[in-house]
Amino acid sequence: MNADVVFRSLGELELCVEFGDRIDLALNFQVLALDRALKESKVAGIRETVPTHRSLGVVYDPALIRRRDLERLIVELVDELDELSEFPSRLVTIPIWYDDPWSQECARAHGVDNNIDFLAGANGIGRDEVISRHAGVLHWVSAVGFQPSTYQAVPLGEMRLTGPKYERPRKWTDPGIVCLAGTITSYYPVRSPGGYQLLGRTPIDLFDPAQRNAAFADGPVLPRVGDRHRYVPIDGEEYEAIRAEVVGGDYEYRIEDGVHRLERADA
Amino acid sequence: MRDRNVFEVVDPGLQTTVQDLGRPGYLADGIPPSGAFDAAALKLANLLVGNEVGEHVLVGTDPGAAGLEMLLVGPALRVVSHTVIAVTGADLEPMVNGEPIPMWTAVPVRTADEITFGSARSGARAYLAVAGGLAVPPMLGSRSTNVRAGIGGLGGRALRARDVLAVQPPEHRAEKLAWRRIRPELIPAHPSPARLRVVLGPQDHLFTPESVATFLDTDWRLSPTSDRMGCRFIGPALKFLPRPEHLVAQAGSDPSNIVDDSICIGSIQVPSGLEPIAMGVDGPSLGGYAKIATVISPDLSVLAQLKPHEVTRFQAVDPEEAEEIHLAARRIGEPDFLE
Repeated sequence: MNADVVFRSLGELELCVEFGDRIDLALNFQVLALDRALKESKVAGIRETVPTHRSLGVVYDPALIRRRDLERLIVELVDELDELSEFPSRLVTIPIWYDDPWSQECARAHGVDNNIDFLAGANGIGRDEVISRHAGVLHWVSAVGFQPSTYQAVPLGEMRLTGPKYERPRKWTDPGIVCLAGTITSYYPVRSPGGYQLLGRTPIDLFDPAQRNAAFADGPVLPRVGDRHRYVPIDGEEYEAIRAEVVGGDYEYRIEDGVHRLERADA
Repeated sequence: MRDRNVFEVVDPGLQTTVQDLGRPGYLADGIPPSGAFDAAALKLANLLVGNEVGEHVLVGTDPGAAGLEMLLVGPALRVVSHTVIAVTGADLEPMVNGEPIPMWTAVPVRTADEITFGSARSGARAYLAVAGGLAVPPMLGSRSTNVRAGIGGLGGRALRARDVLAVQPPEHRAEKLAWRRIRPELIPAHPSPARLRVVLGPQDHLFTPESVATFLDTDWRLSPTSDRMGCRFIGPALKFLPRPEHLVAQAGSDPSNIVDDSICIGSIQVPSGLEPIAMGVDGPSLGGYAKIATVISPDLSVLAQLKPHEVTRFQAVDPEEAEEIHLAARRIGEPDFLE
C-alpha cells in the first residue's frame, strides 16, 4: 500500500500511528487495514488498538515489545497492506425522534431557541429538510470513544447539511441525544457537557454494561468502527413504544451484516 | 468459605470508591481503564494484607484485589468482623478508635472498632486494603468503580453512609499478616515541588516551539477542578502554529482543535491553549484537542497525589528512557518490598 505513516508518542504504553490529519474515508480504510493486520500478526505485547478517523492507537507492553521494534513491525505491515477498497460493515438502524422535547428543553436551557431551526437557518433550508437530509444518507462510524459508546460517523455521499459547534459548550446534554457538528454525527450516552448541535433522541441503548440484550453478546458497546448507521425518523408515540421494549429487554435491534465499498464520492 | 461483611460505612468521606488496578481492553469502546489512580500505593497495600497485587495498568490483564480509594477527606468505617487492613498513599491521618495507626503497615482490627481519618497532611489519595480483597461483582473484568459510566464497584457509585462492604475469604491467617511493614526505603516519596516526567507528543508539533519550552519551564499549579477524569493545571497560555484550512473546516475553529484521535491516560490536552489537562484513569479514550505530551505511567502515582494548588513541573524524557523507567516501576509490589 502507498501509505506513509507518522509515529507519534502517547507516553511509554501507547503509540499513535498517524495516516493523516483529516477526515477522509480512504484514510479510515487504511487505519482499519492496519488494525486488522496487527491483530492477525498475533505479535506478543500488543494489548489493544484504538482505531480513529485517521490514526491507530496501539497499546503495547514494553516488557514484551520495545517501541523501536513495534515501529519496525508496523512499517513492514503497512508496506505489505493490500489497498482496501471494501470492508465488512454492519448496517445498524437507529430510530431517532428528531426535535424531541428533551433536545428542545436542553437547547432552551442554554440560550438557543431550537437547534433544528438553527440548522435550517444556517443551511438555508426548511426544518423538515434538515431531518430528511440527515436521515437521507447512511453514516459511516469512523471513530468510537470519548465515553462508553460515543461514536463519530461521517456521511456516505453528499448530505448537504453542516452545523457549527456551540461557541460556548453546553453544561449538560441528556443521555440518548444524537447530535451534529460539521458533518459528523455523534451521540451522548450519559448526561455530559458538549458542543454539538442537538438533532433528536434515540430510544435504543448503545451501551449495555450488563450485556442483557442479545445485540450486546460480543461486548457492552454497540457502535464499532466500520459500522454504517441508518437513521430512521420516528414520532413520540413510536419513541415511547420502542423505549418500553428496550427497558423490558426484548427490543430487537436491526443489525444487518454487509460490506462497504470505498467510492470516490465518499472521500 | 463465603464472602463476609467487614465494614459498615458510617460516613463516606469526600469521595471513596472501590478500585482495583482497572479494566483493560475496552479503550476502543470508549470505556477507560479506571482503577486506582495511584496504582503503586494500592499494590503495596494489597501486598501488606496478603492479597493479589495484580499487574500494571493498561498492559496487565490481572487487576489484583480491590480496595478503597479515598480522596482528601477519608471515610468513617465500623468494623463488623475482625480482619487486617493496610493504609497507604496520601497521609490522611488514619486512626482506629481515635488512636493514630501506622501507614504502610498491616494493622489488625476487631469487631466494633471504628476506622476514621483526620486531615490531609500530605498527598491527595489514600488507599485501604483489607485481607481477602473487597467483594463486589466484577464488571467487564474489574471491580473498579467508574462513577461517570455508572459501572463497577458498589453499584457504579462512590460509597454512601450505611453501605456494607464484604471481603472475599482471605488466604492468610490474620496473626501471620499483623504488623508486616513495607521496607522504609521503598515507601514512595513525593517530594515537593512535584515532578511529572512526560514524553512530548503526540501533537507537540502543533504548538509554537516557544510554547513547548514554556510548558517545560513553568511551575504549574493544580486547579481545584481536577478529578479522576482529568487534572487541570494553572499557568501561562500556550500558543499554536498557524493551521491548514482543512483543519479549520473539519476539526473546529479553535486553534487547539484536531480531528479526534486516541488519548492515553496521562495525555495532556491543552484546549484553547489554556489550562493543560492531564487525563486521569477515568479519562476519555478519544478527543479533539491537541495533546502536548503524555505523563509516563509510573508518574501517574505522582499526579494522583497532587493536592489542589500544589506546584509541579513537567520534565521531558525520551521514549526509550520512559520504557526503562516503566520496567523498573513494574517491580513495585513484589514480595521483597516487605520488611
